[in-house]
Amino acid sequence: MFEWIRFILGTGLLCIGVATFILEVFGVFKFRYVLNRMHAAAMGDTMGIGASLAGLMILFGFQFVTLKLALVLIFLWCASPVSSHLISRLEYITNEKLEKYCEVRSEDQNRRISGQED
Amino acid sequence: MQIFQYILLIFLVVCAIAVSFSKRLLNSILIFMSYSLIMSIIWILLESPDLAITEAAVGAGVTSVLFFATLKKIHAMREEDEEKDE
Amino acid sequence: MSRLIPEEEYGKKPAGAFRQWMSGIRDPYLGNVEVKARAGQDENEELLKEHQEEVVSVIRKVHDVANNSQYILFRKFYKAAALICCLTLTVMLLVTVAYLPPVGSADNPAHNEVAAKYIEDGLQDTGAVNIVTGMILDYRAFDTFGESNVLFIATCTVLILMRNDKKKGKGSAEEEEHRDSFYEPKADKILQTAALILVPFIILFGIYVILNGHLSPGGGFSGGAIIGAGLILYLNAFGFEKTERFFTAKTYKWVSFSALSFYCIAKSYSFYTGAHHLESGIPLGTAGNILSSGLILPLNICVGLVVACTMYAFFALFRKGGF
Repeated sequence: MFEWIRFILGTGLLCIGVATFILEVFGVFKFRYVLNRMHAAAMGDTMGIGASLAGLMILFGFQFVTLKLALVLIFLWCASPVSSHLISRLEYITNEKLEKYCEVRSEDQNRRISGQED
Repeated sequence: MQIFQYILLIFLVVCAIAVSFSKRLLNSILIFMSYSLIMSIIWILLESPDLAITEAAVGAGVTSVLFFATLKKIHAMREEDEEKDE
Repeated sequence: MSRLIPEEEYGKKPAGAFRQWMSGIRDPYLGNVEVKARAGQDENEELLKEHQEEVVSVIRKVHDVANNSQYILFRKFYKAAALICCLTLTVMLLVTVAYLPPVGSADNPAHNEVAAKYIEDGLQDTGAVNIVTGMILDYRAFDTFGESNVLFIATCTVLILMRNDKKKGKGSAEEEEHRDSFYEPKADKILQTAALILVPFIILFGIYVILNGHLSPGGGFSGGAIIGAGLILYLNAFGFEKTERFFTAKTYKWVSFSALSFYCIAKSYSFYTGAHHLESGIPLGTAGNILSSGLILPLNICVGLVVACTMYAFFALFRKGGF
Protein backbone atom coordinates (compact mmCIF):
# COMPACT_ATOMS: atom_id res chain seq x y z
CA MET A 1 0.00 0.00 0.00
CA PHE A 2 2.74 2.44 1.01
CA GLU A 3 4.69 1.51 -2.12
CA TRP A 4 1.67 2.30 -4.27
CA ILE A 5 1.16 5.72 -2.64
CA ARG A 6 4.83 6.51 -3.18
CA PHE A 7 4.71 5.42 -6.80
CA ILE A 8 1.58 7.47 -7.55
CA LEU A 9 2.98 10.54 -5.79
CA GLY A 10 6.33 10.29 -7.58
CA THR A 11 4.93 9.76 -11.04
CA GLY A 12 2.33 12.50 -10.47
CA LEU A 13 5.06 15.00 -9.59
CA LEU A 14 7.13 13.86 -12.58
CA CYS A 15 4.11 14.36 -14.87
CA ILE A 16 3.59 17.86 -13.46
CA GLY A 17 7.26 18.63 -14.14
CA VAL A 18 7.14 17.37 -17.72
CA ALA A 19 3.90 19.28 -18.36
CA THR A 20 5.58 22.44 -17.08
CA PHE A 21 8.51 21.84 -19.43
CA ILE A 22 6.12 21.46 -22.38
CA LEU A 23 4.40 24.72 -21.41
CA GLU A 24 7.81 26.38 -21.11
CA VAL A 25 8.92 25.34 -24.60
CA PHE A 26 5.53 26.37 -26.02
CA GLY A 27 5.76 29.77 -24.29
CA VAL A 28 9.33 30.44 -25.40
CA PHE A 29 8.38 29.90 -29.04
CA LYS A 30 4.96 31.57 -28.80
CA PHE A 31 5.89 34.87 -27.15
CA ARG A 32 7.71 37.55 -29.10
CA TYR A 33 9.03 39.86 -26.39
CA VAL A 34 12.08 39.22 -24.21
CA LEU A 35 10.42 39.61 -20.83
CA ASN A 36 7.49 37.37 -21.75
CA ARG A 37 9.83 34.71 -23.03
CA MET A 38 11.98 35.01 -19.94
CA HIS A 39 8.91 34.50 -17.78
CA ALA A 40 8.07 31.25 -19.58
CA ALA A 41 11.66 30.00 -19.41
CA ALA A 42 12.06 30.88 -15.74
CA MET A 43 8.86 29.02 -14.89
CA GLY A 44 10.27 25.83 -16.38
CA ASP A 45 13.64 26.41 -14.74
CA THR A 46 12.19 26.60 -11.25
CA MET A 47 8.87 24.79 -11.10
CA GLY A 48 9.48 22.20 -13.80
CA ILE A 49 12.86 21.17 -12.44
CA GLY A 50 11.61 21.34 -8.85
CA ALA A 51 8.60 19.11 -9.53
CA SER A 52 10.51 16.54 -11.59
CA LEU A 53 13.42 16.30 -9.13
CA ALA A 54 11.00 16.02 -6.19
CA GLY A 55 9.22 13.20 -8.03
CA LEU A 56 12.53 11.44 -8.61
CA MET A 57 13.49 11.90 -4.97
CA ILE A 58 10.22 10.30 -3.84
CA LEU A 59 10.68 7.43 -6.28
CA PHE A 60 14.25 6.75 -5.11
CA GLY A 61 13.43 6.79 -1.40
CA PHE A 62 16.07 7.43 1.25
CA GLN A 63 19.38 6.91 -0.51
CA PHE A 64 22.59 8.78 -1.22
CA VAL A 65 21.20 9.66 -4.66
CA THR A 66 18.34 11.54 -3.00
CA LEU A 67 20.79 13.82 -1.21
CA LYS A 68 22.60 14.49 -4.47
CA LEU A 69 19.30 15.34 -6.19
CA ALA A 70 18.39 17.70 -3.34
CA LEU A 71 21.76 19.46 -3.72
CA VAL A 72 21.24 19.77 -7.48
CA LEU A 73 17.79 21.24 -6.83
CA ILE A 74 19.15 23.80 -4.35
CA PHE A 75 21.92 24.79 -6.77
CA LEU A 76 19.50 25.27 -9.65
CA TRP A 77 17.05 27.23 -7.53
CA CYS A 78 19.90 29.54 -6.49
CA ALA A 79 21.30 29.96 -9.98
CA SER A 80 18.48 30.17 -12.52
CA PRO A 81 16.31 32.93 -10.93
CA VAL A 82 19.45 35.08 -10.68
CA SER A 83 20.15 34.63 -14.38
CA SER A 84 16.54 35.54 -15.22
CA HIS A 85 16.87 38.62 -13.03
CA LEU A 86 20.04 39.67 -14.88
CA ILE A 87 18.37 39.24 -18.28
CA SER A 88 15.36 41.32 -17.27
CA ARG A 89 17.59 44.01 -15.79
CA LEU A 90 19.69 44.24 -18.94
CA GLU A 91 16.49 44.58 -20.98
CA TYR A 92 15.24 47.33 -18.65
CA ILE A 93 18.47 49.27 -18.95
CA THR A 94 19.07 48.96 -22.66
CA ASN A 95 15.57 49.16 -24.13
CA GLU A 96 14.52 52.75 -24.75
CA LYS A 97 11.01 51.87 -25.90
CA LEU A 98 10.02 49.84 -22.90
CA GLU A 99 6.62 51.56 -22.65
CA LYS A 100 5.65 50.03 -25.99
CA TYR A 101 5.71 46.51 -24.56
CA CYS A 102 4.73 46.79 -20.93
CA GLU A 103 3.50 49.06 -18.18
CA VAL A 104 6.28 51.18 -16.69
CA ARG A 105 5.97 53.05 -13.41
CA SER A 106 6.83 56.72 -13.45
CA GLU A 107 9.51 58.19 -11.19
CA ASP A 108 6.97 59.50 -8.64
CA GLN A 109 5.34 56.11 -8.27
CA ASN A 110 8.73 54.49 -7.86
CA ARG A 111 9.65 56.88 -5.08
CA ARG A 112 6.31 56.35 -3.34
CA ILE A 113 6.62 52.58 -3.49
CA SER A 114 10.22 52.47 -2.34
CA GLY A 115 9.18 54.51 0.71
CA GLN A 116 11.58 57.43 0.29
CA GLU A 117 9.30 60.41 0.38
CA ASP A 118 11.75 63.18 1.14
CA MET B 1 18.16 2.73 -24.64
CA GLN B 2 19.39 2.10 -28.18
CA ILE B 3 16.59 4.29 -29.58
CA PHE B 4 17.45 7.06 -27.10
CA GLN B 5 21.06 6.97 -28.31
CA TYR B 6 19.95 7.19 -31.94
CA ILE B 7 17.75 10.20 -31.14
CA LEU B 8 20.67 11.90 -29.40
CA LEU B 9 22.97 11.20 -32.34
CA ILE B 10 20.43 12.66 -34.77
CA PHE B 11 20.17 15.76 -32.56
CA LEU B 12 23.96 15.97 -32.57
CA VAL B 13 24.14 15.95 -36.36
CA VAL B 14 21.30 18.47 -36.64
CA CYS B 15 23.04 20.80 -34.16
CA ALA B 16 26.38 20.47 -35.94
CA ILE B 17 24.81 21.42 -39.25
CA ALA B 18 22.73 24.22 -37.72
CA VAL B 19 25.82 25.85 -36.19
CA SER B 20 27.26 26.54 -39.61
CA PHE B 21 23.96 27.42 -41.26
CA SER B 22 22.50 29.88 -38.76
CA LYS B 23 22.65 33.50 -39.88
CA ARG B 24 23.38 35.12 -36.52
CA LEU B 25 26.57 34.50 -34.58
CA LEU B 26 24.72 34.59 -31.25
CA ASN B 27 22.39 31.78 -32.36
CA SER B 28 25.39 29.77 -33.53
CA ILE B 29 26.95 29.99 -30.09
CA LEU B 30 23.73 28.90 -28.38
CA ILE B 31 23.38 25.93 -30.74
CA PHE B 32 27.02 25.04 -30.09
CA MET B 33 26.24 25.05 -26.37
CA SER B 34 23.40 22.56 -26.88
CA TYR B 35 25.74 20.48 -29.04
CA SER B 36 28.16 20.26 -26.10
CA LEU B 37 25.37 19.25 -23.72
CA ILE B 38 24.15 16.47 -26.04
CA MET B 39 27.76 15.34 -26.46
CA SER B 40 28.22 15.11 -22.69
CA ILE B 41 25.07 12.95 -22.37
CA ILE B 42 26.41 10.68 -25.10
CA TRP B 43 29.72 10.38 -23.23
CA ILE B 44 27.81 9.28 -20.13
CA LEU B 45 25.93 6.68 -22.18
CA LEU B 46 29.26 5.46 -23.55
CA GLU B 47 30.38 4.98 -19.92
CA SER B 48 33.11 7.58 -19.78
CA PRO B 49 32.02 10.03 -17.08
CA ASP B 50 35.46 11.69 -16.99
CA LEU B 51 34.96 13.07 -20.46
CA ALA B 52 31.33 13.96 -19.70
CA ILE B 53 32.31 16.20 -16.78
CA THR B 54 35.02 17.90 -18.80
CA GLU B 55 32.75 18.35 -21.80
CA ALA B 56 29.98 19.89 -19.69
CA ALA B 57 32.33 22.24 -17.81
CA VAL B 58 34.54 23.30 -20.73
CA GLY B 59 32.29 22.93 -23.78
CA ALA B 60 29.03 24.26 -22.43
CA GLY B 61 30.41 26.59 -19.75
CA VAL B 62 33.75 28.24 -20.29
CA THR B 63 33.96 28.08 -24.09
CA SER B 64 30.56 29.74 -24.52
CA VAL B 65 31.49 32.49 -22.07
CA LEU B 66 34.70 33.11 -24.00
CA PHE B 67 32.74 33.16 -27.28
CA PHE B 68 30.33 35.74 -25.83
CA ALA B 69 33.26 37.87 -24.64
CA THR B 70 34.78 37.69 -28.13
CA LEU B 71 31.49 38.69 -29.76
CA LYS B 72 31.34 41.68 -27.46
CA LYS B 73 34.94 42.55 -28.22
CA ILE B 74 34.33 42.66 -31.97
CA HIS B 75 30.95 44.44 -31.49
CA ALA B 76 29.04 41.71 -33.31
CA MET B 77 26.14 41.68 -30.83
CA ARG B 78 25.32 45.36 -31.14
CA GLU B 79 25.15 45.24 -34.93
CA GLU B 80 22.60 42.48 -34.74
CA ASP B 81 20.49 44.59 -32.43
CA GLU B 82 20.52 47.44 -34.91
CA GLU B 83 19.46 45.13 -37.71
CA LYS B 84 16.55 43.96 -35.62
CA ASP B 85 15.39 47.49 -34.93
CA GLU B 86 15.29 48.54 -38.54
CA MET C 1 0.28 39.08 26.29
CA SER C 2 -0.19 40.56 22.90
CA ARG C 3 -0.40 44.20 22.15
CA LEU C 4 -1.05 46.19 19.03
CA ILE C 5 2.17 47.72 17.70
CA PRO C 6 1.97 50.88 15.61
CA GLU C 7 2.05 50.60 11.84
CA GLU C 8 5.49 52.16 11.44
CA GLU C 9 7.18 49.78 13.83
CA TYR C 10 5.37 46.83 12.28
CA GLY C 11 6.72 47.78 8.87
CA LYS C 12 10.29 47.34 10.07
CA LYS C 13 9.78 43.76 11.24
CA PRO C 14 10.28 40.91 8.76
CA ALA C 15 6.63 39.87 8.81
CA GLY C 16 5.49 43.43 8.23
CA ALA C 17 8.00 43.93 5.42
CA PHE C 18 6.84 40.69 3.83
CA ARG C 19 3.18 41.77 3.99
CA GLN C 20 4.03 45.13 2.48
CA TRP C 21 5.97 43.46 -0.28
CA MET C 22 3.14 41.01 -0.95
CA SER C 23 0.54 43.74 -1.24
CA GLY C 24 2.80 45.92 -3.40
CA ILE C 25 3.03 48.88 -1.02
CA ARG C 26 6.78 48.82 -0.76
CA ASP C 27 9.51 47.35 -2.97
CA PRO C 28 12.80 46.96 -1.07
CA TYR C 29 14.68 46.56 -4.34
CA LEU C 30 13.66 49.96 -5.73
CA GLY C 31 15.98 52.83 -4.92
CA ASN C 32 18.69 50.59 -3.51
CA VAL C 33 20.17 49.39 -6.78
CA GLU C 34 21.87 51.49 -9.39
CA VAL C 35 19.92 51.46 -12.65
CA LYS C 36 21.22 53.65 -15.44
CA ALA C 37 19.10 54.48 -18.44
CA ARG C 38 20.75 54.72 -21.81
CA ALA C 39 21.74 58.24 -22.80
CA GLY C 40 20.10 59.61 -25.96
CA GLN C 41 22.08 60.02 -29.13
CA ASP C 42 23.44 63.49 -29.71
CA GLU C 43 24.80 63.25 -33.27
CA ASN C 44 23.71 66.09 -35.46
CA GLU C 45 21.63 65.56 -38.59
CA GLU C 46 24.28 66.36 -41.20
CA LEU C 47 26.82 63.88 -39.89
CA LEU C 48 24.18 61.19 -39.75
CA LYS C 49 23.05 61.89 -43.32
CA GLU C 50 26.60 61.86 -44.62
CA HIS C 51 27.28 58.58 -42.89
CA GLN C 52 24.14 56.98 -44.33
CA GLU C 53 24.97 58.16 -47.87
CA GLU C 54 28.42 56.69 -47.53
CA VAL C 55 27.03 53.35 -46.41
CA VAL C 56 24.55 53.26 -49.29
CA SER C 57 27.21 54.13 -51.88
CA VAL C 58 29.55 51.42 -50.57
CA ILE C 59 26.75 48.86 -50.69
CA ARG C 60 25.89 49.89 -54.26
CA LYS C 61 29.48 49.58 -55.41
CA VAL C 62 30.06 46.25 -53.76
CA HIS C 63 26.78 44.56 -54.65
CA ASP C 64 26.51 45.74 -58.24
CA VAL C 65 26.94 42.16 -59.40
CA ALA C 66 25.11 42.39 -62.70
CA ASN C 67 27.63 44.78 -64.32
CA ASN C 68 30.74 43.07 -63.01
CA SER C 69 31.67 40.29 -65.44
CA GLN C 70 34.82 39.34 -63.54
CA TYR C 71 32.81 38.84 -60.39
CA ILE C 72 30.22 36.68 -62.16
CA LEU C 73 32.96 34.50 -63.62
CA PHE C 74 34.62 34.18 -60.24
CA ARG C 75 31.36 33.15 -58.62
CA LYS C 76 30.74 30.43 -61.18
CA PHE C 77 34.30 29.15 -60.80
CA TYR C 78 33.96 29.27 -57.02
CA LYS C 79 30.79 27.18 -57.03
CA ALA C 80 32.29 24.57 -59.35
CA ALA C 81 35.52 24.38 -57.35
CA ALA C 82 33.65 24.03 -54.06
CA LEU C 83 31.53 21.23 -55.48
CA ILE C 84 34.55 19.35 -56.83
CA CYS C 85 36.45 19.72 -53.54
CA CYS C 86 33.51 18.49 -51.48
CA LEU C 87 32.82 15.52 -53.74
CA THR C 88 36.48 14.45 -53.80
CA LEU C 89 36.74 14.60 -50.02
CA THR C 90 33.46 12.73 -49.54
CA VAL C 91 34.50 9.94 -51.91
CA MET C 92 37.92 9.64 -50.28
CA LEU C 93 36.49 9.43 -46.79
CA LEU C 94 33.78 6.93 -47.80
CA VAL C 95 36.33 4.68 -49.50
CA THR C 96 38.50 4.81 -46.37
CA VAL C 97 35.54 3.95 -44.16
CA ALA C 98 34.73 0.97 -46.39
CA TYR C 99 38.19 -0.47 -45.69
CA LEU C 100 37.89 -0.15 -41.88
CA PRO C 101 37.39 -3.36 -39.88
CA PRO C 102 33.87 -3.90 -38.48
CA VAL C 103 33.04 -2.22 -35.18
CA GLY C 104 33.44 -4.45 -32.13
CA SER C 105 35.10 -7.45 -33.75
CA ALA C 106 37.68 -9.21 -31.62
CA ASP C 107 40.62 -9.01 -34.03
CA ASN C 108 40.56 -5.24 -34.47
CA PRO C 109 43.98 -3.55 -34.35
CA ALA C 110 42.76 -1.59 -31.29
CA HIS C 111 42.39 -4.80 -29.25
CA ASN C 112 46.06 -5.58 -28.87
CA GLU C 113 48.26 -6.38 -25.92
CA VAL C 114 48.61 -2.70 -24.84
CA ALA C 115 44.96 -2.30 -23.81
CA ALA C 116 44.97 -5.72 -22.14
CA LYS C 117 48.11 -4.81 -20.18
CA TYR C 118 46.60 -1.49 -19.02
CA ILE C 119 43.40 -3.14 -17.85
CA GLU C 120 45.08 -6.09 -16.12
CA ASP C 121 48.09 -4.45 -14.48
CA GLY C 122 46.79 -0.87 -14.19
CA LEU C 123 45.82 -1.08 -10.53
CA GLN C 124 49.09 -2.77 -9.52
CA ASP C 125 51.40 -0.49 -11.47
CA THR C 126 49.80 2.87 -10.77
CA GLY C 127 47.72 2.28 -7.64
CA ALA C 128 44.83 4.29 -9.12
CA VAL C 129 41.33 2.82 -8.92
CA ASN C 130 40.21 4.94 -11.86
CA ILE C 131 41.98 3.32 -14.82
CA VAL C 132 41.60 6.41 -17.02
CA THR C 133 43.52 8.61 -14.59
CA GLY C 134 46.13 5.91 -14.15
CA MET C 135 46.58 5.90 -17.88
CA ILE C 136 46.75 9.63 -18.55
CA LEU C 137 48.87 10.55 -15.52
CA ASP C 138 51.15 7.52 -15.27
CA TYR C 139 51.55 5.54 -18.48
CA ARG C 140 50.93 8.55 -20.73
CA ALA C 141 52.03 11.30 -18.37
CA PHE C 142 54.18 13.10 -20.93
CA ASP C 143 51.15 13.40 -23.18
CA THR C 144 49.30 15.22 -20.39
CA PHE C 145 52.38 17.35 -19.75
CA GLY C 146 52.23 18.44 -23.38
CA GLU C 147 48.53 19.29 -23.01
CA SER C 148 49.22 21.47 -19.95
CA ASN C 149 51.97 23.23 -21.88
CA VAL C 150 49.55 23.81 -24.76
CA LEU C 151 47.24 25.61 -22.34
CA PHE C 152 50.14 27.72 -21.07
CA ILE C 153 51.21 28.61 -24.62
CA ALA C 154 47.60 29.50 -25.50
CA THR C 155 47.53 31.94 -22.59
CA CYS C 156 50.81 33.45 -23.78
CA THR C 157 49.35 33.92 -27.27
CA VAL C 158 46.19 35.57 -25.95
CA LEU C 159 48.42 37.75 -23.77
CA ILE C 160 50.36 38.90 -26.85
CA LEU C 161 47.17 39.66 -28.77
CA MET C 162 45.03 41.22 -26.03
CA ARG C 163 47.37 42.81 -23.51
CA ASN C 164 46.66 46.45 -22.77
CA ASP C 165 49.49 48.20 -20.95
CA LYS C 166 48.21 51.78 -21.06
CA LYS C 167 47.80 53.09 -17.55
CA LYS C 168 45.81 56.28 -18.08
CA GLY C 169 43.93 58.24 -20.70
CA LYS C 170 42.04 57.08 -23.77
CA GLY C 171 42.23 53.37 -24.52
CA SER C 172 43.61 52.42 -21.13
CA ALA C 173 42.69 49.09 -19.60
CA GLU C 174 40.31 50.55 -16.99
CA GLU C 175 38.49 52.67 -19.54
CA GLU C 176 38.18 49.84 -22.03
CA GLU C 177 36.72 47.62 -19.34
CA HIS C 178 34.28 50.35 -18.32
CA ARG C 179 33.20 50.87 -21.92
CA ASP C 180 32.90 47.15 -22.54
CA SER C 181 30.65 46.54 -19.54
CA PHE C 182 28.70 49.81 -19.65
CA TYR C 183 25.25 48.25 -19.82
CA GLU C 184 26.05 45.39 -17.51
CA PRO C 185 24.69 45.49 -13.99
CA LYS C 186 27.27 46.74 -11.52
CA ALA C 187 27.03 46.07 -7.80
CA ASP C 188 23.86 44.05 -8.26
CA LYS C 189 22.78 42.91 -4.81
CA ILE C 190 20.93 39.80 -5.97
CA LEU C 191 23.82 38.58 -8.11
CA GLN C 192 26.34 39.31 -5.35
CA THR C 193 24.35 37.41 -2.74
CA ALA C 194 23.90 34.43 -5.07
CA ALA C 195 27.60 34.49 -5.95
CA LEU C 196 28.58 34.68 -2.28
CA ILE C 197 26.51 31.57 -1.58
CA LEU C 198 27.41 29.59 -4.69
CA VAL C 199 31.09 30.35 -5.39
CA PRO C 200 32.54 28.64 -2.27
CA PHE C 201 30.58 25.49 -3.04
CA ILE C 202 31.58 25.53 -6.72
CA ILE C 203 35.27 25.87 -5.80
CA LEU C 204 34.91 23.22 -3.09
CA PHE C 205 33.37 20.85 -5.63
CA GLY C 206 36.22 21.57 -8.04
CA ILE C 207 38.79 20.77 -5.34
CA TYR C 208 36.90 17.57 -4.54
CA VAL C 209 36.96 16.53 -8.19
CA ILE C 210 40.70 17.20 -8.44
CA LEU C 211 41.63 15.39 -5.21
CA ASN C 212 39.46 12.37 -6.08
CA GLY C 213 40.85 12.12 -9.60
CA HIS C 214 42.44 8.71 -9.01
CA LEU C 215 39.39 7.27 -7.21
CA SER C 216 36.34 8.51 -9.13
CA PRO C 217 35.63 10.11 -12.50
CA GLY C 218 37.20 13.51 -12.82
CA GLY C 219 40.69 14.80 -12.40
CA GLY C 220 42.80 17.83 -13.10
CA PHE C 221 41.14 19.02 -16.29
CA SER C 222 37.51 18.79 -15.15
CA GLY C 223 38.18 20.11 -11.64
CA GLY C 224 40.30 22.95 -12.97
CA ALA C 225 37.55 23.95 -15.40
CA ILE C 226 35.00 23.96 -12.56
CA ILE C 227 37.22 26.16 -10.38
CA GLY C 228 37.84 28.48 -13.33
CA ALA C 229 34.07 28.80 -13.91
CA GLY C 230 33.59 29.66 -10.22
CA LEU C 231 36.26 32.35 -10.44
CA ILE C 232 34.61 33.80 -13.55
CA LEU C 233 31.27 33.98 -11.70
CA TYR C 234 32.97 35.76 -8.79
CA LEU C 235 34.60 38.21 -11.20
CA ASN C 236 31.28 38.97 -12.89
CA ALA C 237 29.56 39.61 -9.57
CA PHE C 238 32.18 41.70 -7.79
CA GLY C 239 34.34 43.23 -10.50
CA PHE C 240 38.08 43.43 -10.96
CA GLU C 241 38.85 45.33 -7.76
CA LYS C 242 37.94 42.35 -5.58
CA THR C 243 39.60 39.65 -7.68
CA GLU C 244 42.82 41.60 -8.10
CA ARG C 245 43.37 41.27 -4.37
CA PHE C 246 44.16 37.59 -4.79
CA PHE C 247 44.76 37.03 -8.50
CA THR C 248 47.14 39.19 -10.51
CA ALA C 249 49.55 38.56 -13.36
CA LYS C 250 52.19 37.73 -10.75
CA THR C 251 49.99 35.04 -9.20
CA TYR C 252 49.32 33.55 -12.59
CA LYS C 253 53.01 33.58 -13.47
CA TRP C 254 54.14 31.87 -10.27
CA VAL C 255 51.34 29.32 -10.07
CA SER C 256 51.72 28.22 -13.69
CA PHE C 257 55.51 28.20 -13.52
CA SER C 258 55.72 26.17 -10.32
CA ALA C 259 52.99 23.72 -11.35
CA LEU C 260 54.52 23.05 -14.76
CA SER C 261 58.08 22.76 -13.46
CA PHE C 262 57.03 20.44 -10.63
CA TYR C 263 55.23 18.27 -13.17
CA CYS C 264 58.31 18.24 -15.39
CA ILE C 265 60.70 17.37 -12.53
CA ALA C 266 58.42 14.68 -11.07
CA LYS C 267 57.91 12.93 -14.38
CA SER C 268 61.57 13.31 -15.30
CA TYR C 269 62.45 11.46 -12.10
CA SER C 270 59.98 8.78 -13.06
CA PHE C 271 61.55 8.61 -16.51
CA TYR C 272 65.03 8.43 -14.98
CA THR C 273 64.07 5.41 -12.89
CA GLY C 274 62.74 3.74 -16.04
CA ALA C 275 58.96 4.01 -15.55
CA HIS C 276 57.89 1.05 -13.42
CA HIS C 277 60.69 -1.38 -14.12
CA LEU C 278 62.88 -0.07 -11.29
CA GLU C 279 62.08 0.92 -7.73
CA SER C 280 61.26 4.63 -7.75
CA GLY C 281 61.13 4.97 -3.97
CA ILE C 282 57.66 6.54 -4.07
CA PRO C 283 55.20 4.39 -2.12
CA LEU C 284 51.98 3.55 -3.94
CA GLY C 285 49.92 3.21 -0.77
CA THR C 286 46.67 1.31 -0.40
CA ALA C 287 44.49 1.54 -3.48
CA GLY C 288 41.30 3.42 -2.66
CA ASN C 289 42.73 5.90 -0.15
CA ILE C 290 43.05 9.58 -0.93
CA LEU C 291 46.78 9.51 -0.22
CA SER C 292 47.71 6.71 -2.59
CA SER C 293 48.93 5.93 -6.07
CA GLY C 294 52.25 7.74 -5.79
CA LEU C 295 52.72 10.76 -8.02
CA ILE C 296 49.22 10.85 -9.51
CA LEU C 297 47.67 13.05 -6.80
CA PRO C 298 50.28 15.85 -6.94
CA LEU C 299 50.29 15.73 -10.74
CA ASN C 300 46.49 16.06 -10.73
CA ILE C 301 46.78 19.10 -8.47
CA CYS C 302 49.34 20.64 -10.84
CA VAL C 303 47.15 20.10 -13.90
CA GLY C 304 44.12 21.49 -12.03
CA LEU C 305 46.00 24.65 -11.02
CA VAL C 306 47.20 25.26 -14.57
CA VAL C 307 43.72 24.74 -16.06
CA ALA C 308 41.95 26.95 -13.48
CA CYS C 309 44.46 29.77 -13.92
CA THR C 310 44.24 29.50 -17.71
CA MET C 311 40.43 29.73 -17.73
CA TYR C 312 40.42 32.77 -15.48
CA ALA C 313 43.27 34.43 -17.37
CA PHE C 314 41.47 33.97 -20.70
CA PHE C 315 38.34 35.63 -19.39
CA ALA C 316 40.20 38.50 -17.71
CA LEU C 317 42.28 39.15 -20.83
CA PHE C 318 39.21 39.17 -23.06
CA ARG C 319 37.34 41.57 -20.79
CA LYS C 320 40.01 44.00 -19.74
CA GLY C 321 43.29 43.25 -21.48
CA GLY C 322 45.09 42.40 -18.27
CA PHE C 323 44.54 40.85 -14.89
